[in-house]
Amino acid sequence: MWKNIFDWLNERLGLNDLQKSLLERPEPKGNWWNTLGSASLFLFILQGLTGIFLTVYYTPSPDHAYDSVNYIMNDVAFGWLIRGIHHWGATLMVIVVFVHMLRVFVTASYKYPRELTWLIGVGLLIATLGMGFTGYLLPWNQRAFWATTVGTQIAGTVPFVGEFILKALRGGPDLSALTLQRFFAGHIWMLPAVLVGLIGVHLFLIIRHGESHWPKKED
Amino acid sequence: MNEETKKQINARYERELNKGEFFWPDSIFKDAVVSLGIFILLILLATFVGVAGEPKADPSDTSYLPRPEWYFLFLFKFLALYGQIPVVGKIEWLATVLVPSIAIGLLLFIPFVDKKQDRFYAKRALPLGIMFTMVVDIVILTLISDVPTVAADDATLFVKLSASLQPYAGLVIPGVVMALLFFLPRVYKDISWKSMTWLTGIGSFLMIGLTIAILTFAPKLESTETELASTLAEQIFAGQDLYSLHCVECHGDDGKVTVIEGVEGLEGKAISPINSRDVLYTVNDASMAEIIAYGRPDSGMNPFGRMYNPEGLSKGEIDYIVTFMRYMWDDRFEIPAEALKPLFPPLFEGEVPSYDVHIAPIVKRYCVSCHREGKESNNYWMDSYDNIINMGDNAPNIVAGDPNSYLLQVIQGHEIKDAKGEVIIGVMPPKSTLKPNVIDVFIRWIMAGMPRTAMDAAALYVQPTPAVTPTP
Repeated sequence: MWKNIFDWLNERLGLNDLQKSLLERPEPKGNWWNTLGSASLFLFILQGLTGIFLTVYYTPSPDHAYDSVNYIMNDVAFGWLIRGIHHWGATLMVIVVFVHMLRVFVTASYKYPRELTWLIGVGLLIATLGMGFTGYLLPWNQRAFWATTVGTQIAGTVPFVGEFILKALRGGPDLSALTLQRFFAGHIWMLPAVLVGLIGVHLFLIIRHGESHWPKKED
Repeated sequence: MNEETKKQINARYERELNKGEFFWPDSIFKDAVVSLGIFILLILLATFVGVAGEPKADPSDTSYLPRPEWYFLFLFKFLALYGQIPVVGKIEWLATVLVPSIAIGLLLFIPFVDKKQDRFYAKRALPLGIMFTMVVDIVILTLISDVPTVAADDATLFVKLSASLQPYAGLVIPGVVMALLFFLPRVYKDISWKSMTWLTGIGSFLMIGLTIAILTFAPKLESTETELASTLAEQIFAGQDLYSLHCVECHGDDGKVTVIEGVEGLEGKAISPINSRDVLYTVNDASMAEIIAYGRPDSGMNPFGRMYNPEGLSKGEIDYIVTFMRYMWDDRFEIPAEALKPLFPPLFEGEVPSYDVHIAPIVKRYCVSCHREGKESNNYWMDSYDNIINMGDNAPNIVAGDPNSYLLQVIQGHEIKDAKGEVIIGVMPPKSTLKPNVIDVFIRWIMAGMPRTAMDAAALYVQPTPAVTPTP
């Protein structure tokens, strides 16, 4: 019976072809350093899942954000675990993405034919840092509030357009309910959308060109 | 790049593929192991380290020292050090915009800047040297981010040294090393990759050495621990403590005062009892918090928010007070059982109370509101063990073993008069009387010689002689 179901699906989805092109593709001899990319992807998915759970209780308003986070930590079953994983996952993701980039640099994997993969990767790094910056404000505690005040101030020092950027980020001259709402929207909709798109292209390029081999004396 | 090189590169990669493995199951196995390790690490971190608590955001508290997320700390420190450079250091946007833009631009265009097709490390001394120096710089800037960039004029020599070494470790040495790495191969064409490695190594060694010096000489930071109430019961307790300190003087410990007595400037002012339904049903939490923060000038309510008074209450603290009032007096709210814990553990016969366990919470609830710095209270501050025993215009207010100690007399309703018959200490507390069991704690404590810790008190415990039952 299972064979019939598989055959039916295979006929329509082309599972055998997918298996050949995605899973059974040849690769150069593996290396543990080459796992950092997939680790970043794993962390991104984990952050996505825990983040979705957090939005069930989190309220992005200055009156309730702090208390809702408190509620998640104290009263929601395993809320502390979900938030703990999300919190530490952010830290780990920055480390893993950074080390992944260093590995690519050291093995010079950004050279022909993988230049575009690197460019997309830099985009992913910036988007990841953006996630860190926007997510930091959401608990609406002292640390978050003042770090964001200073962070947005720095953006405001850009010549000519600084004032505009500052107001666009904060939604006004000062940090307010609007800022929180904006950072929340950026954190759960805009930046993840950018990340998903870039990750898709990044993965496509990796499958297309294959993982680079570890450089030897002749390279 | 010409087609010939491209062909060579692709052929070389084909050779590696033939010697290689398959994505499934070889590579994906390693990926799965690493991801699983990361997942377990995250669960351990979440369980055993957790997320540190922080007070609620308070826009009026401008004294708060901002600190970004740790992975931005190096940028923060870079900006601070950059500000120390004469002349250009004052042009902020150079550091905040130009330098990061160049850095990101370089990062983006590395494939187009570094066009050679060499991939082996020995052929890439320049890019690897620059990368290594930058990574070391990022790490040390993160490490020294908490050390003050500018030392005060009266700081010790070591502290001044720890401040003045920072620009060398964070800017000068990495700058010089990177410039040398860049220009040396252009001057000496045949420089070997080993000399380049040595240069990078010495530079990093100097940077790390200076960092260790900076961290050893750095002034010890005072850690300011703020108490955080996370559970409802803790919030109610925190609110009660704050209420006892700031509100009791006018509103009384049960909030039912209708005419203020004995408070300078507000004497005889008629106020609404804040424990009444009138107040609690008509004012919601947000408005209540605003009344406490901004005050109500017409009805005598002073503003307590930090925007009016640097030593005032933070937003979080005001919220605790509101929570306390709701659960204590509002009959629509049910107080959680764990918040109903008594002020002090009840004494059994012969037990001696201690300052730590019994007196401190009592004094905090009923006395400190007036008996503290900045209040008219005969200079008797009851904020610490020593002050309670030694301070005050009429000291000593407490004499060990003396049942006629001033404090014992006034809490039992007897005024203290001087030789001319004038009252020098009135009845305490001025508007209410303490419960008999509270007075009993004071009597036992003073009669036993004011033990400070629970251990001291236990040593003074006298086994009550069992009543002799007459045998028939």
